[in-house]
Amino acid sequence: MAILVEQLLNALALAGLLFLVSVGLSLVFGILRVVNFAHGVFYMLGAYLGFTAVAVSGWFWLSLVVVPPLVGVVGALLEASTLRFIYRRPPIYQLLLTFGLALILEESVRVIYGPTAKGIDPPPLLQGAVEIAGTFYPRYRLFLVVLGIVVGLGVWLFLQRTRTGLVIRAVAQNSEMADCLGANVGRVRTLVFGAACALAGLGGVAAGPMTTAYLGMGIGVIVDAFVVVVIGGLGSIGGSMAGSLIVGAAQTWGAFYLPETAMVIMYAVMGVILIFRPWGLFGEEE
Amino acid sequence: MSRTRVLALAALVTLAVLPWALARYQLSILTDLLVFGLFAMSLDLIMGYTGMVSFGHAAYFGLGAYGSALVLIHFGQPVPVALLAGALLAGAVALPVGWFSTRATGIYFAMLTLAFAQLLYTVAYKWRDLTGGSDGIAGVPKTTLFWGGPSLASPRAFYFLVAACVVLSLVACCALVRSPFGRALQAIRENERRFTSLGRDPRPFKLVVFVIAAVFAGLAGALFAPFRGFASPEVMFWLFSGQGLMMVIMGGIGTLVGPVVGAMVFILIQEVLSSYTEHWMIFTGALFVLMVIFLPGGLVGTARRLAGRG
Repeated sequence: MAILVEQLLNALALAGLLFLVSVGLSLVFGILRVVNFAHGVFYMLGAYLGFTAVAVSGWFWLSLVVVPPLVGVVGALLEASTLRFIYRRPPIYQLLLTFGLALILEESVRVIYGPTAKGIDPPPLLQGAVEIAGTFYPRYRLFLVVLGIVVGLGVWLFLQRTRTGLVIRAVAQNSEMADCLGANVGRVRTLVFGAACALAGLGGVAAGPMTTAYLGMGIGVIVDAFVVVVIGGLGSIGGSMAGSLIVGAAQTWGAFYLPETAMVIMYAVMGVILIFRPWGLFGEEE
Repeated sequence: MSRTRVLALAALVTLAVLPWALARYQLSILTDLLVFGLFAMSLDLIMGYTGMVSFGHAAYFGLGAYGSALVLIHFGQPVPVALLAGALLAGAVALPVGWFSTRATGIYFAMLTLAFAQLLYTVAYKWRDLTGGSDGIAGVPKTTLFWGGPSLASPRAFYFLVAACVVLSLVACCALVRSPFGRALQAIRENERRFTSLGRDPRPFKLVVFVIAAVFAGLAGALFAPFRGFASPEVMFWLFSGQGLMMVIMGGIGTLVGPVVGAMVFILIQEVLSSYTEHWMIFTGALFVLMVIFLPGGLVGTARRLAGRG
């Protein structure tokens, strides 16, 4: 029983992190029609900047607030200086462009921070463990569960209940029509791209105390996030959440019961889902 | 003679003469360029001619490399047997992967191929007994051309084997894309929905070309293993798949020759940059971003446009 609860919480914590990354990937695809290969690198950037912010200020909560907007600004600048010019091309060009951006960013982080991993301490409030159903569970992982849920709700409310959210949804549905009706499509795209990068950055800051900040964490997470959005359906927030839960569960139980084949289980689950729903659980046929 | 034929003849003569003009080290780089050229060309079959962007093509290169390395080390067969084994292994694995992946289109296809490739990479990494794990398989010998035949151990002999494989594959692929099957692929690329509404099912075509491309990628990998003397999981990594896409775009998508040129330019740039700085990835990345924005047709595509052949 205790083990079951622990595994369940582990799955939820992992799902929380995966959601923070995959929701941005999914939104950028839904609204810009771009698969952002560099998305994972923004996650890594968040973790490293989080490390710097904690090292300078000694205050984790500050880095959680300051770093994501910084990562978002970097993302928005890159969108405005490169991607903006090639939206009319076939999707492969945008994917490849972001691949180039990923190489540049990944190597830049290596130049600045060097090859060794950077450990980050969780804030005092989240250190240690709490007792749940007879088992002691790290507080920090519970925080990740809560963070995932709060961000998911926040993004959903923003898109559904605010005027900006309305314009964004209009652009997602039909960007030309939205343009004719006076929406500033270019600005919406930059904003969404930046916001998605900020979410990835938030995921990175949050992941830091659990995984440390290390090179290659970006590609590790982007492959998982791809699986999440493929399972859930591109462009759907609910899909990202469902996909994160499924992948989180598959990885956690896989690693527990069949350590050597944890990855295989994740892909097997994806394969089975795609046989029945080639466009993901919540996706729509193109 | 048309301009294309003259160019092709000139390229053949150059390939035949170069081994006597180049130093040993330069010849090994040229061999390298040709191997990667073959890899990029195979990717162009699915990417340029069928419009299926695979982000996991390196897996088939890697399977070819492992297949050929195992045959050469454990059975000591002639190199062509190993080439066949590597290519067939790649094709055999591509069949189920392609069956799954071609259910999806566009971006979903790209992600599925990436996921399967990472899965294969993990298997190669973890299956220590067979693949040597992260160390890979070292000491792959260059055996003979056939049973009791001449040895391929000299750099020049192996170069000619590679050059012959690349030229023959290029000819075969050119014939393939001009055949009715190839026309069907291009029809799928141009408008899959229309292709379907004309009463044809695109999926068998996509599956077949996916397997063919994997076989050629496997051949490139099977040449790579004895040439470099090793097979390791790195050649199956996503980064290499991405580099393959970069080679195709740099050279010119949908031209077959372009990707070969693109691969050569890409490797040479990498070679030059890495002798100046260990952070060459920044510059390759930046160069690539600029090329995607300003030269969408790639080198060959742009050259053709400048030559006025659209």
